[in-house]
Amino acid sequence: MDFRNAMLAAMAGAAMIAASAASAQQPQTGGTLTYTFHPEPTALSTISTTAVPVAIISTKLYESLLEYEGAGMTPKPGLAESWSISPDNLVYTFKLRSGVKWHDGKPFTSDDVKFSVQEIALNYHSRGRTYFGAVDSIETPDATTVVFKLKQPVPFFLRAFQASETPMMPRHGFTEQDIAEKRVRQARIMQEPIGTGPFKMKEWRRGSHIILERNPDYWKPGKPYLDQVALRVLPDGVARALAVEKGEVDLAPQSALPPSEIQRLRTVQSLVVSDDGSEGLGPMMWLEVNLREKPLSDVRVRQAISMAIDRKRLVDVIWFGAGKPARGPIVSGNPAHFDASLPQFEYNPQRAQQLLDEAGYPRRQGGVRFRLTQNFLPYGEEWVRQGEYIRQELGRIGIQVETQSVDMAGWLRRIYTDWDYDFTSNFTHNYSDPTIGVQRAFISTSIQKGASFSNSMNYSNPRVDELFRRAAAIPDGPERKAIWNEVQQILRADLPVIFLIEIGFTHVWNRRVQGLIVNGISMYSNWDSVWLQR
Amino acid sequence: MGGALRFAVVRLLQIIPVVMAIGALNFVLLNMAPGDVADVLAGQMGHATPELMAQLRREFGLDRPYYEQFAIYLGKLAVLDLGTSHLQQLPVIDLILDRLPATLILMVTAIGIAIAVGLLLGVAAARRQGGWLDGVISVVALIVYATPAFWLGLMLIVAFSIHLDLVPSGGMSRIGAGTAGFAYALEVAHHLILPAITLGLFYVAIYTRLMRASMLEIYRLEFITTARAKGLSEGRIAWTHAFRNALLPVVTLAGVQIGHILGGSILVETVFAWPGLGRLVFDALLQRDLSLLLGILFVSSVVVVLASLVVDLVYGLLDPRIVQK
Repeated sequence: MDFRNAMLAAMAGAAMIAASAASAQQPQTGGTLTYTFHPEPTALSTISTTAVPVAIISTKLYESLLEYEGAGMTPKPGLAESWSISPDNLVYTFKLRSGVKWHDGKPFTSDDVKFSVQEIALNYHSRGRTYFGAVDSIETPDATTVVFKLKQPVPFFLRAFQASETPMMPRHGFTEQDIAEKRVRQARIMQEPIGTGPFKMKEWRRGSHIILERNPDYWKPGKPYLDQVALRVLPDGVARALAVEKGEVDLAPQSALPPSEIQRLRTVQSLVVSDDGSEGLGPMMWLEVNLREKPLSDVRVRQAISMAIDRKRLVDVIWFGAGKPARGPIVSGNPAHFDASLPQFEYNPQRAQQLLDEAGYPRRQGGVRFRLTQNFLPYGEEWVRQGEYIRQELGRIGIQVETQSVDMAGWLRRIYTDWDYDFTSNFTHNYSDPTIGVQRAFISTSIQKGASFSNSMNYSNPRVDELFRRAAAIPDGPERKAIWNEVQQILRADLPVIFLIEIGFTHVWNRRVQGLIVNGISMYSNWDSVWLQR
Repeated sequence: MGGALRFAVVRLLQIIPVVMAIGALNFVLLNMAPGDVADVLAGQMGHATPELMAQLRREFGLDRPYYEQFAIYLGKLAVLDLGTSHLQQLPVIDLILDRLPATLILMVTAIGIAIAVGLLLGVAAARRQGGWLDGVISVVALIVYATPAFWLGLMLIVAFSIHLDLVPSGGMSRIGAGTAGFAYALEVAHHLILPAITLGLFYVAIYTRLMRASMLEIYRLEFITTARAKGLSEGRIAWTHAFRNALLPVVTLAGVQIGHILGGSILVETVFAWPGLGRLVFDALLQRDLSLLLGILFVSSVVVVLASLVVDLVYGLLDPRIVQK
């Protein structure tokens, strides 16, 4: 073969590869996407509970006014085909798509939107008041127009219309009695969902599986690509991993597999292991500290604890590399609010010991300075091992730690109602804006007995309260960014909690699954563009 | 037969106070655990204000004093109303009946395997006491007895499902296969193999050892010596004369163990994703779904009490003196 022929052959080969790559990117219609998660959902709507398994399945059935694009969650048209915002940021006008039908064939109208916000989200969704507390009125001049008038600007108002946060529900799905007696959780629609989403309910065999089928009347032409979405309930973590490995299951979303198994599956050729697609949730882990009593009320003691923990090692050893060391209260995956100039927290056990000496806690008999009780979030093995690691590291600087174990209900009661703890591991979400996910933990007005994932520490700093209050009412921009920078500086210095890890949500899927990662809440997206390569 | 019938009726009547007492005890015990379903819901939702918590507790009737909740519960129990699941908002009885068949199939198959194999091996070992077969059976039984069920289950999945691809790794049927009738039964049977063996093996070991000991005891009795003196074959002596007498302790143990197997099935159901009661009770406990939990415990106590009634009746068949007394 001469040079010219060789070139031609190479070009032909390259063309063939390109052609097959192009056909690989051409979405194919049909097939069933099977995913696994545990626990099984207890409901099919985030109005009942926003638990992860419920949020994953319900967002295929129900939609909201907007969809979101990219990790930064840029709003784009959904059930609303367009929107406008008044110059003073107080009036949001949404123009709804016409011709959209509920799964039972009835038309979707502006009245349903008003109902979903006013009667459902505000009264039942755990973040309903955060999103819509400043709404003064909702007007529906015609069947396809909705006007929200606000009492004050809400910087994250356009983030509120995610399917998991503000699902649109049909007014006709509820009886007058359900609404009047506040018994919406008991309504029939909670068992027999009527949404506008690309998939409809087909079958729920409790303890075994749920099957959703294509909505043939979906408003996006040609979508969804999948015939069915199926959830297979596999209670054992290792069994879940084996099912994914064997190809019986296509997807294990949102850290559905134990970290040790995820680590093992990274080398399996047929699988993709990725932390992308959860940026909009902003998962964050810290040690929550009870500031009511000595010695933890002393900031030097908290600094010492912070310096005694090697966060990098925690990520690598306990979490098998999923996540990264936290640098403050706001996750680094949120560039609009995170202060990128923040340094890593220092790991320096020697300095930690000096701080404890300065704070007046010298080593006594047996080298012990003082004793603390540790609780941990009962989410599984890794949390236990993390507790053991922390106990060991604090032991090294003279703090003797006793670990207590309770289940979730007991943990919530102890931390948020009884405030009966010294410190505990905790895991919260930033969500798409610090006012939604960060404020609740640090403002003094959320020191409320019985309020879960609130300010259990008893942290009160008037400056921080003031900054959060101001940030809640101005649009994103340099001024708001400056506020967040100051909040991060203060909380890093005050250490009302010991910031540990921006934990990673890891998704594992079979290579034949395409189009899964679309935005920062990919597992809570409607999967209308997901397809299977055959 | 009249005696046996009266015996059964008396025992059935005795069940009523027993299950009522179990229900009351469950109520008290479960209420002593810290936290309630409102805490759990609030935890799942990632945030809840005290107002939302109060609203939830009101909805679930948890804002009333304990004695009032208890009275309501007992009143409903008396008319066999198990209430509505707090979390799933479905009648508890429906949720249970959805899952009960799966657990019963698994239990009955496992016990069937355990008794059949256990008795055979036990008799075989006893007939050759001290021989190599006795040695092998005893050692293997001990190893199986000491093996945790969840580990054994996972190893069986790795070997027979992942590597050999002979059986499915979990579940009770293929999702959405839409099979019915005989084809469905076959599919369930195919899915049942690994979990039933996993759950059954532990009890195989127990019954083997018990049957062996029991047979050896019978062999020492005089009527066996008489039978041998009459020149009966060893096989006839073992199966006709010794076997029925040696069964009594095994049947007793089987009766006691029904509750144990029901509990043990939680692990096996977890590993094999078998949609039975075991998982339901475990999830209900973690979620503090009190009404569901009480309902399951009530139904399983009825199952256990009924099973022990059956055992007593079988006992009467094996040894008619028991009914006459």
